Amino acid sequence: MTIPLSGSREARPFPLRRLAAWAAARDLAAFIVPGPDVARTCGIDLDAAGVRVAQTPRHAGVLVLVGELPRGLKKAAAVAYAQMPRPRAILAVGAGDVSPLPEPDVWVTASQRELAAGVEELRRLFAEGAFATEAAGFDIEEIRMETEYVCPMHPEVTSDEPGSCPKCGMDLIPRESAGGAGHEGHDDAGHGDTDHDASDPGVLVSHEGHGSNDEMDYQDMGHEGGGEDSGGHEHAERGEHEGHDEMDHGGHEDMGFMSMVEMTQGTPRSSDGLQMEWTGAPFGPLFPGLPGGLSLTFTLDGDTVANVTAPRGALGWDLDGLETAPARDFPDLLALLDPLSPTAYRLLALQALEDAANTVADERTTLERVGALERERAASHLGWFSGFGRLLGYSWLEARAGQIQLALLRAADAEEVARQETEVGKLVRRVYRTPMLARRLKGLGTLPDTAETSGPVARAAGLAKDARSGGIYRTLDFEPVVREGNDAVARLWTRLAEVEQSLKLVRKAGAVCFPQGMLTSPLRSTGSATVETPRGAATLRVKLQGDVVSATELTTPSSLHHQFIGAVAEEREVADALLGVASLDLSPWGVAR
Amino acid sequence: MSVVLVLAALLAGTYVVAVLEGWASTGRLRPAGPLVSGLALLGRESLVPRKPDRIFFEVAPPLLLVAAVLAAAVLPLAPGLIVTDLATGALFVNASFAYVMVAVLMAGWGPDGAYAMVGGFRFLGQLVAYSMLVVMPITAVAMRAESLLTTEVVTSQVSLWNALYQPLGFALFFLAAMAIAFLPPFDLPIAPGELAEGVLAEYTGWRLGVMRFGRALLVLTLALAVTVFYLGGWFGPVLPPWAWTALKTLAVAAVMLSVGRYVPRLREADVLAWGWKYGIPLALVNIFYVGVVLLVAM
Repeated sequence: MTIPLSGSREARPFPLRRLAAWAAARDLAAFIVPGPDVARTCGIDLDAAGVRVAQTPRHAGVLVLVGELPRGLKKAAAVAYAQMPRPRAILAVGAGDVSPLPEPDVWVTASQRELAAGVEELRRLFAEGAFATEAAGFDIEEIRMETEYVCPMHPEVTSDEPGSCPKCGMDLIPRESAGGAGHEGHDDAGHGDTDHDASDPGVLVSHEGHGSNDEMDYQDMGHEGGGEDSGGHEHAERGEHEGHDEMDHGGHEDMGFMSMVEMTQGTPRSSDGLQMEWTGAPFGPLFPGLPGGLSLTFTLDGDTVANVTAPRGALGWDLDGLETAPARDFPDLLALLDPLSPTAYRLLALQALEDAANTVADERTTLERVGALERERAASHLGWFSGFGRLLGYSWLEARAGQIQLALLRAADAEEVARQETEVGKLVRRVYRTPMLARRLKGLGTLPDTAETSGPVARAAGLAKDARSGGIYRTLDFEPVVREGNDAVARLWTRLAEVEQSLKLVRKAGAVCFPQGMLTSPLRSTGSATVETPRGAATLRVKLQGDVVSATELTTPSSLHHQFIGAVAEEREVADALLGVASLDLSPWGVAR
Repeated sequence: MSVVLVLAALLAGTYVVAVLEGWASTGRLRPAGPLVSGLALLGRESLVPRKPDRIFFEVAPPLLLVAAVLAAAVLPLAPGLIVTDLATGALFVNASFAYVMVAVLMAGWGPDGAYAMVGGFRFLGQLVAYSMLVVMPITAVAMRAESLLTTEVVTSQVSLWNALYQPLGFALFFLAAMAIAFLPPFDLPIAPGELAEGVLAEYTGWRLGVMRFGRALLVLTLALAVTVFYLGGWFGPVLPPWAWTALKTLAVAAVMLSVGRYVPRLREADVLAWGWKYGIPLALVNIFYVGVVLLVAM
């Protein structure tokens, strides 16, 4: 018997279940990988296709994969898929190879019309195959639990089997890990499925993820004395914890009365002097309040962020593949690098190659480029408003900014873009007038004055840094938008003003379509260019051997700003930390290793 | 008989609130939406996290439901249409809503997950902010009615609704009601963008269904409480009394569900600070003002 749905639930499809299957087909909720931000820049609107967007895989029935996924994200997507309750399915939108995930149930290209057809197909599959007598399992290394045995005193001593520590003779205690790092897992309530092993905040699954909830190791963080079992409630039982060695929030075992002093003895002390339990929790790479792909792990001290780890290059995305590309294909390849601002990177590659060829584009072409770049900037900022709105719980902003962004990206010519100017104006005025908004954001995400920044982040700190200041922009009466404040609210005001400015520039340029580059053979062996991307100035140097790009050196604003994650997040309450990070508008795609 | 009628009314009302909730979050009115979603949730697996506090995890959803429905027992839908007209009715309303915090905190602790836990403890903080703002405005309402009987509270408003008689108390109680139901901008324990649904994050399938149902019912009973205490309950021209209660309650619910859409979520520290620095003094002013007005009227 064929199984029509990859994630059908194992059960005999009797009439009541058929009704549930029909309902599941009508009530599709999607968890988007890498995130709604990438979906919108690809022109994909799931809401318009009749699919709700869920904030966690736990509440979703469809995993939507948008675009080519980097290695790191495929694993995270697999963990998210394992967390989804059955019946579940995978919808690939313009995606390539998706292993280790199972083959997508429906595969469409990245266009709204195809998406609508794909959703219809999914509904049919759900109605027919939500329940099946044989359901396929899903089991990959990343979500499998493994038990290893560690010495409570010597974390470097680990073993696959129980025993005693060669250094101190203490009994080794079991600790669970998965895929090399550990996930929470979970049992399925009696359905016999084996693959729901990844759970919990894990949603947001950095695949090294999750177990972090269990496995925060204080010694790693330089807090001697806490020992591995500083997990709050467990101190009374030091030395005899069976399976509760970890730092989960208590392990919920029975315990006798214990005073707060005893309970917090030896745990790290926060800056406010209160001793609380520290918990590690992944926020990303698939966290709804941050750009899709951005991977953070917060060490939470109560609800304050004590420590942030933000690995660079977690996506497994790099420039390696680009370095020996034919010059002709190079702009297209660089455009694929960052799905959040392809136009800016294509332009960057073109200008670097033109620099090598020692040619200058004519005025008409330059204007067309300005139009395309400014359209992208406006759309990118609107996309940021939408994501920021979601993080803020400001649903109207999330929805409205997303709609205008899609309209801008779909506009066929400068006139259609200009038509959005009134809508944008209304949105901007409304955001300015929103009660409590400025108060909510004031003082968040402040950077030191000496911090080297770029783009809107720099301009919100009173610095008139803008790579657009010369050339054609001068003839368009361009003045960089500069605001004072150097915090989240100043960044919001800066971007609001820039959206309006960019649309005016599009109107003046009179074009929005990106012209194909007319590449001539390079004269020199090196070329460089700087383009003001929506997130700040990006600089590219290329080395050429004949017609082939042999080496590249790219500096991106996100790579520059990534280092400030700790500064804006640490010692802040979770929500404030996330808002601070989000205010930087990082593109995880543009963060170099 | 009235028990059956009240239960039927609550079920119907909860369904309408669920439809309104969908409308407030998506902007589309889908009359069959909650039914379809509910069926789909029943067909979906209800997973249990790997290391739950099983009792807390299992008890939280039904407890939320119970906390929401308890208050409805002492709130009149029409003259005679009340489950039990308790002599301490107004106090009982306040007491039953206290269990909402217990349910949310349990749902936060139960699954052994960081997002849920932060969400649960945030709600504990939120309780500290809103609880006085539930009981103090009710005090002023009872002062005017000279009774804790909820039916007496309604009849005391025959000439003038409490919403106009003591607008300050009305505003405070309305905001506190939104905070109890953790509706935006007070949705700190679920905070979709910050905590990925927080206390709801680990619930799936029918358990999630029970949680959502409990929350919708909670919004309904809170709206009913606002109607009874401040909007003259069943009083109104032409239409039968029960229809007025229904209309007012649903209108209040619609407002509660939709205002949060246009403002950012509040910071927990701000909710606490405002609750105590401004909320409680204003509630005292309200009590004092009502007392003076009552004395003068005598």
